[in-house]
Amino acid sequence: MVSFTPKTSVPFFAEIEMERFTGLDYYRVDELYTDEERLVRNTVRDFVDAEVLPIIEAHHRQGTFPLALIPRLGELGVLGANLQGYGCPGITEVAYGLIMQELERGDSGLRSFASVQGALVMFPIRAFGTEAQKIGWLPRLARGEKVGCFGLTEPDYGSDPGGMVTKAVRRGDHYILNGSKLWITNGTISDVAVVWARTDEGIRGFLVEKGMPGFTAREIEGKFSLRASVTSELIFQDCRIPRENLLPGTAQGLKAAFACLNQARYGIAWGAVGAAMTCYDVALKYAKTRVQFGRPIAGFQLVQQKLVYMLTEITKAQLLCLRLGQLKQAEHVHHTQVSLAKMNNVDKAREIARLAREILGAAGIVDEYPVIRHMLNLETLYTYEGTHDIHTLVLGQDITDLSAFA
Amino acid sequence: MRIVVCLKQIIDPELPATQFRIDAESKRQQSDNHPLVISPYDENALELALKLKEQTGGHVTLLSVGQPSAVSALRKGLAMGADEAALITDPAIEGSDAFGVATALARGIEKLGHADLVLCGCESGDWADRIVGPILAETLHIPCVTFIARLEKHNGGFLAHRVVEDGYELWEVVPPVLLTILSDETNTPRYPKVKDIMAASRKSIPTWSGADLDLDASRIGKAAVRAEVQELTVPTQESRCQLLEGEPEEQVAMLVARLRERKVI
Repeated sequence: MVSFTPKTSVPFFAEIEMERFTGLDYYRVDELYTDEERLVRNTVRDFVDAEVLPIIEAHHRQGTFPLALIPRLGELGVLGANLQGYGCPGITEVAYGLIMQELERGDSGLRSFASVQGALVMFPIRAFGTEAQKIGWLPRLARGEKVGCFGLTEPDYGSDPGGMVTKAVRRGDHYILNGSKLWITNGTISDVAVVWARTDEGIRGFLVEKGMPGFTAREIEGKFSLRASVTSELIFQDCRIPRENLLPGTAQGLKAAFACLNQARYGIAWGAVGAAMTCYDVALKYAKTRVQFGRPIAGFQLVQQKLVYMLTEITKAQLLCLRLGQLKQAEHVHHTQVSLAKMNNVDKAREIARLAREILGAAGIVDEYPVIRHMLNLETLYTYEGTHDIHTLVLGQDITDLSAFA
Repeated sequence: MRIVVCLKQIIDPELPATQFRIDAESKRQQSDNHPLVISPYDENALELALKLKEQTGGHVTLLSVGQPSAVSALRKGLAMGADEAALITDPAIEGSDAFGVATALARGIEKLGHADLVLCGCESGDWADRIVGPILAETLHIPCVTFIARLEKHNGGFLAHRVVEDGYELWEVVPPVLLTILSDETNTPRYPKVKDIMAASRKSIPTWSGADLDLDASRIGKAAVRAEVQELTVPTQESRCQLLEGEPEEQVAMLVARLRERKVI
């Protein structure tokens, strides 16, 4: 007989996974949501549990996006859900945030898809497009029949998009577009790209459609983060875009692009809470069942300290999101307030994912548990849609009136 | 055709067992701010009703007896596609047993006018009494068939697939009739759509008290309970490990014998 110590056996993942996520609400924030907001949240929560969690690890492992979920998201009505009209339900900003939270609890790839589609494609068409562009694209994007992407970042211009080199030159009824865009979510699966380019009149937004001559997209391989998401490079070589594909409302230039990013960052602030919640949930359940030195590791002070820190930061982030949502609903939100929430919540979620990984010990590095996946995904969140550092400087400038950018 | 679906709001039955606490006084599960959901089989009954409405037309009304919080369960039902809903709520009804609840539901259905089909879940996800449906049918003086998985239109009535141990019984039923529904691949509850959730939140849901329904006070509430819960405890689960000694061959023989004993193989 070799040694046999049944008490210290690691619980099967199935045992933990069997217990459905039933929410994390230490401060009874749920009571501050409306019935409608709770029902939207619960619906997306159920959807993620039933349709996303069973398949997402395989997609993450294979580096593929679960394309079959796109029409399902459209059917639920969560794409561009906070927009009004043109097939969009016009739900409250808090309900929209809760949708983002739950999608990210599934996977950041899914939330990123919905963020890009709603905040970076449908929002600019709704805010800056012509009536024909709105009628032509918004209902189909809302139903998930068409997919969109957003091209702002370039290989040499990330945090400093004002330096972009992509150019659109007017030729009669067309613009000729040259340049490239990098790190574009949904790029190769998109039917339409909202592309920002320098023109004689300043930076403008264009709708570049799949199949337009001179437009190609290439998928970026070798990612260790957001693996269940499509990330691409867009290339424009003398790409001819009809004049009517210009978004006329983007005359304010980069400011219009930043307005889109502000919408997306709002969703990311909520999404980070979803990732953090699931990491905490898994870590707590694991710590209560994992026995070392004859007792559950949750009984050790160092583990409790980690769990309490996680709970505290999640609770704070939940309240931050709710208030931000209320301000956005009342149209009283300042972009620096969105920066603060994105910066804080992603930073804390990233820390929480790492602490959860630590609590899970060796089990934390395998995809049997969702923790390592979220931990890796959060590296992307930390960087995209304004890096952590840039948001810090945006806030620094706001409170000191002194720019530390350059 | 008017279909009435009876919905019960319960504490989420999928909560981890570790969060299950019993209130010693009331001998009920403590609510502890846990999430509340529609009892699972009731949701199957609603899905069956909605499918029927899509296929043959009709009007789906939801009826619930419960706390004021049960409005959110009814809202979800409306968002899934029901046409209207009403809540029967009154402190005097609280603590009722299956008879009390069935009495209140029957009065509610009478107030609605009539029902061709009354659908209930085959059992609730908390107490699993399985008798509210049959008592309600008895009170309404209509027939009742239990444990129905599917329903098809048939000869001016319906063919009801009743689940029994080794297959289905097919029952020809003619409205008015009450059916209790269990889960089946054909009645997996749909997700409400965001726009329907918004529309549902604008609908008004009437609430009826015992007085609104002329309920006989002697038939409802704690005083009318016919079977009293003496004790309620959370079962403890224990696992033990037995080591089989001896040479490998003996160990295998013992293991096989034990597994046969326990009918595992």
